Amino acid sequence: MSIQEQYRSRAKELLREGTVKMVIGYGAGTTPLRRRPIFITSPDDADRLVLDAACRTNLAGYLLREGLLADQKSVAVFLTPDGVRTINILAAESQLATEQVIVLGFQIDGENARQLEGTRVADFSGIIAERKKKRKEQPSHEVARKLEQMTSVERFSFWEGEFSRCIKCYACRAACPMCWCRRCVVDNNQPQWVNTSSHTLGNLEWNLVRAFHLAGRCVECGNCSEACPVNIPLHLLNRRMTEEVLTAFDYYPGADEHQEPVLASFRKDDPETFIL
Amino acid sequence: MTKILYANDLTACFSLWRKEGMRVLGPVSKAKTSGFGEVQDAHELDLNLVLTARTLKELFFPRTEPMFSYSIGKQKIETGEFLPSENACIIFGARPCDAAGMAIDDELFNWDYRDEYWFRRRDRSVIITIACKESDDFCMCTSLGLAPDSAKGSDVLLRPLASGNGWRVEELTPKGGKALQPIASLLKEGSEAAAPTAEVPLLFDLEACTTWLADPENFESHFWKEISERCIGCGTCTYLCPTCHCFDIQDEGDTYEGIRRKNWDSCSFQLFTMHTSGHNPRATQSARWRQRIMHKFNYFSDKFSVNSCTGCGRCTRECPVDMGVRETLQAISTLQK
Repeated sequence: MSIQEQYRSRAKELLREGTVKMVIGYGAGTTPLRRRPIFITSPDDADRLVLDAACRTNLAGYLLREGLLADQKSVAVFLTPDGVRTINILAAESQLATEQVIVLGFQIDGENARQLEGTRVADFSGIIAERKKKRKEQPSHEVARKLEQMTSVERFSFWEGEFSRCIKCYACRAACPMCWCRRCVVDNNQPQWVNTSSHTLGNLEWNLVRAFHLAGRCVECGNCSEACPVNIPLHLLNRRMTEEVLTAFDYYPGADEHQEPVLASFRKDDPETFIL
Repeated sequence: MTKILYANDLTACFSLWRKEGMRVLGPVSKAKTSGFGEVQDAHELDLNLVLTARTLKELFFPRTEPMFSYSIGKQKIETGEFLPSENACIIFGARPCDAAGMAIDDELFNWDYRDEYWFRRRDRSVIITIACKESDDFCMCTSLGLAPDSAKGSDVLLRPLASGNGWRVEELTPKGGKALQPIASLLKEGSEAAAPTAEVPLLFDLEACTTWLADPENFESHFWKEISERCIGCGTCTYLCPTCHCFDIQDEGDTYEGIRRKNWDSCSFQLFTMHTSGHNPRATQSARWRQRIMHKFNYFSDKFSVNSCTGCGRCTRECPVDMGVRETLQAISTLQK
């Protein structure tokens, strides 16, 4: 049985038993190479689920849809290890309870989707620990290395150029499972903290504020860069922050659901006295 | 016999236009995106694109533009106006769907008042459109009553020659005729055949869709929630749409000095209809998606007798979650049967 068939029957079973009220997965898209998020609530519809190498979107953010988890019922969702990390962070940030999440874990290896054993996010801690180790050894992105070699003036003008294309559609924010603020800082206009205009200053402000906000929280799923209609390499900013946090604090976001947010927690015995 | 413009003469054309004081713009692929930009030489154009990622509307309705500035001093108050003052331009190589979009928005921007920001630029530009000999999986102009060689909104229509060496030239408006005068010496009489236009399949029955949308019974239909469940509420579809025209007025500055700007805005955003009281008449994403569809195929057509969609397909092509006008209208078409 193909992995797709296995997961379809698992989804069917979960819905039929009433273990979950919904399965969030991937379905066929407009073209043969496209996949789109779908929401299955009836076992009869489970055959619409697709699982293959084209399933790249991190679906975790859909769990935060207003009211979805309010009835304490469970939802199953197709997740890669980075998707599982997302759930851990959302739990640590009190946005959901992991008891309500059934994981349909998978991983894309080249052209194939591979099954990952486990049902609850905690079942994936071994895989995530492995990923952390690998991430530490992973060399920086080629463009990132070039950026490191630039002077700060050159680097600033690189980003100014990239951000000049930004049309302020906020697809990066909408696609990011970590952007769960009910009211984003850019939508606050009393006072207007961030310029909403899509000019040089407004674009820099927006993209940098978002990058800072994701430091120590981004799981590098790539939703933002994929969503950006003008192809700004947003992931480069977030990857850089990930490396910073990994080196400085040995912190890999989403290791488990009890992991404290690195930039929103402190210890009383912290050697930095300014904290208390 | 008809007038032929050979591709080899294009750069010479551009020089002649520039001599007349006109800028030349066209489709360019630059820095990982494509849109319309100023060019000097024909080689800078990317005429092989089915469609640029960004639309023609940016030339007339930029994503942000200053309207006026103010400064309040001890002695006097000063204000400054920013009406567009760019030189006239030739837009070479627009696509019929984009050009049609500009004609549709002309109605809107000349409805309750004449939008000088739009029309100063529109009046000073000539759109030379190239008919499409290729389409992609997202093109749907034929479903919207247009075609890969529609003349709507264009001043000149070029039909690609079968040989690939140039275009047959069709003058459509007096403005187009005037723009062709300076390059008349480069237009050759010929009878070379044009390449067949792209075959864009019919995807839905537009009339059935607009009838369904016009029925008040369907306004609260479950359909809206189901069709838009995966919508993430970004502005991609609206900002890359040739006809979406909503804007927001923003003041930047303080009590003493500042600038008022006109910025793109999108009905996809939660904030779009948020009242000061906190009440939001379009509280859910499905209500917002319904608004986008209703605006295009019901409200706009009620007012201006034309739908505000040209079938360019960008909404689906660029949607992060593979939604778009196409899927929605296809689904409504099916509901009818």
